[in-house]
Amino acid sequence: MGRNIHFEIFRYNPQDTASIPRMQTYFLEETINMTLFIALTRLREEQDPSLVFDFCCRAGICGSCAMVINGRPGLACQTQIKNMPGHISLHPLPVFKIIGDLSVDTGVWFREMYRKTESWIHTRAEVDPTLEEARMDNAVAEEIYELERCIECGCCIAACGTANLRPDFMGAAALNRIARFMIDPRDERSEREYFDIIGTDFGIFGCMGLLACEDVCPKQLPLQDQLGFLRRKMGFAALRQIFKTSRPA
Amino acid sequence: MAGTATMLYAHPQAHPRRDACLDWLQMITGACLVIFMWCHMLLVSSVLVGPALMDAIAWFFEATYLVQAGGPVIFVCFLAHFILAARKIPFTAGDQEIAWTHARMLRHRDTWLWMVQMVTAMFILVMGAIHMWVVLNDLPITAERSAARVASGGWLWFYFILLPLAELHVSVGAYRIGVKWGFISRQNRPKAKRIELCMFVVFMVIGVGTLLVFNHMATVLSAGRGV
Ligand code: HEM
Ligand code: SF4
Ligand code: SF4
Ligand code: FES
Repeated sequence: MGRNIHFEIFRYNPQDTASIPRMQTYFLEETINMTLFIALTRLREEQDPSLVFDFCCRAGICGSCAMVINGRPGLACQTQIKNMPGHISLHPLPVFKIIGDLSVDTGVWFREMYRKTESWIHTRAEVDPTLEEARMDNAVAEEIYELERCIECGCCIAACGTANLRPDFMGAAALNRIARFMIDPRDERSEREYFDIIGTDFGIFGCMGLLACEDVCPKQLPLQDQLGFLRRKMGFAALRQIFKTSRPA
Repeated sequence: MAGTATMLYAHPQAHPRRDACLDWLQMITGACLVIFMWCHMLLVSSVLVGPALMDAIAWFFEATYLVQAGGPVIFVCFLAHFILAARKIPFTAGDQEIAWTHARMLRHRDTWLWMVQMVTAMFILVMGAIHMWVVLNDLPITAERSAARVASGGWLWFYFILLPLAELHVSVGAYRIGVKWGFISRQNRPKAKRIELCMFVVFMVIGVGTLLVFNHMATVLSAGRGV
């Protein structure tokens, strides 16, 4: 016999003018190897078909099932009920636009992030598709891959005090994206060009170093180290620009 | 395109490196104050070794005009640091609510430490200013005068409140500078947290000891004068 888990789930349908945000209580018996994703699916199938939440891969790859689980942003499909207390409260991720109940729109936010960071390789090199791809040093490739692992779940944004206070703060996911292109030898963007993207309080200088992003990222991306690296790099870039411009030509 | 982009903001900036410069200044003024507070603790706590040592150190700083010149410099640093750091403090009622709700929801140590920094800053701004004004207006610094001051009126309680606030703010601030600029990495963060805590405890013990010695000295001195 498993525990009888007490769920408290945030309910709100912004499309329905009569809907007011509230917490709704459910009970569900725990089964072996139950994840929060399984529990929510059963609640929807057995108790309340109106319950709204997102999922897709149920394997921690797509990033769509992120929600606030007992106060901490995390992935429902990667949350084992057996590691949780008998009382679980669920909220949608803050910062993002709510679609309904536990579902938020991370897509618009992340598309905007792609646009702001120009999340593609900037190069003037002509690519000849008939030739073998240019080789990359293995160590560099692995370093890039480490930062590429971001599944765009939005947990780091929802956990960030700065992002909660300033809707236009870029957040760790975007800053990590810039760090990824900075170490990519194929991207020809100059230090100045990177500085123009993240060298303000909406970018790296807005980060207050609270490290909630680092502590909640379900893929354990090295966000703390990227943020420190970017601050140093952009801080010194500013000094270099200042001393260059003040020198007589 | 523009119709779908919900997060298009214009950020006109006369000086493209403004935020970078302000961030540098915030860090530098903060680091100066941290270093100052350590030196300050050395001066004040030297009374634990003996009043003569404190007098000698104070005499040295005054004979070289380091107090007379350094005092106002520290005061300016203190105010500048406040103004710079205040850029990031949520002052409006709405922002305060967001910050507290967020901290309570997340139950995350480093986020709470930031709330601690915010609250202690407000008290230090007022109490630190009063303290600096009083000390710098009553030179020279001697162990005897400090003892008399600490033991008079409500000053002992004033210092018992200012001391933990200042030490919290200083140790959290030092940790934060390390994290922000990447001196503290994912690897050494647990160690840095332990050092931060040790620093706080050690300075608290020295500080409380110093205050008690001042208070005791004052009692002995007034008894000696037959007051
Ligand atoms: C130039 C500036 C400063 C000078 C010359 C100075 C000097 C002194 C002196 C002589 C004492 C012994 C008590 C007394 O005489 O009243 C003292 C104690 C103290 N000061 Fe300062 N101070 C300065 C700035 C600051 C600042 C900016 C802070 C806080 C942010 C601060 C926090 C404290 C605390 C907490 C104590 C009590 C420590 C203890 O005795 O355990 N001081 N200071
Ligand atoms: S960095 Fe981590 S928490 Fe942030 S979006 Fe990517 S995977 Fe999610
Ligand atoms: S370290 Fe920076 S980006 Fe990460 S949660 Fe804190 S303020 Fe946000
Ligand atoms: S369902 Fe894809 S990450 Fe959870």
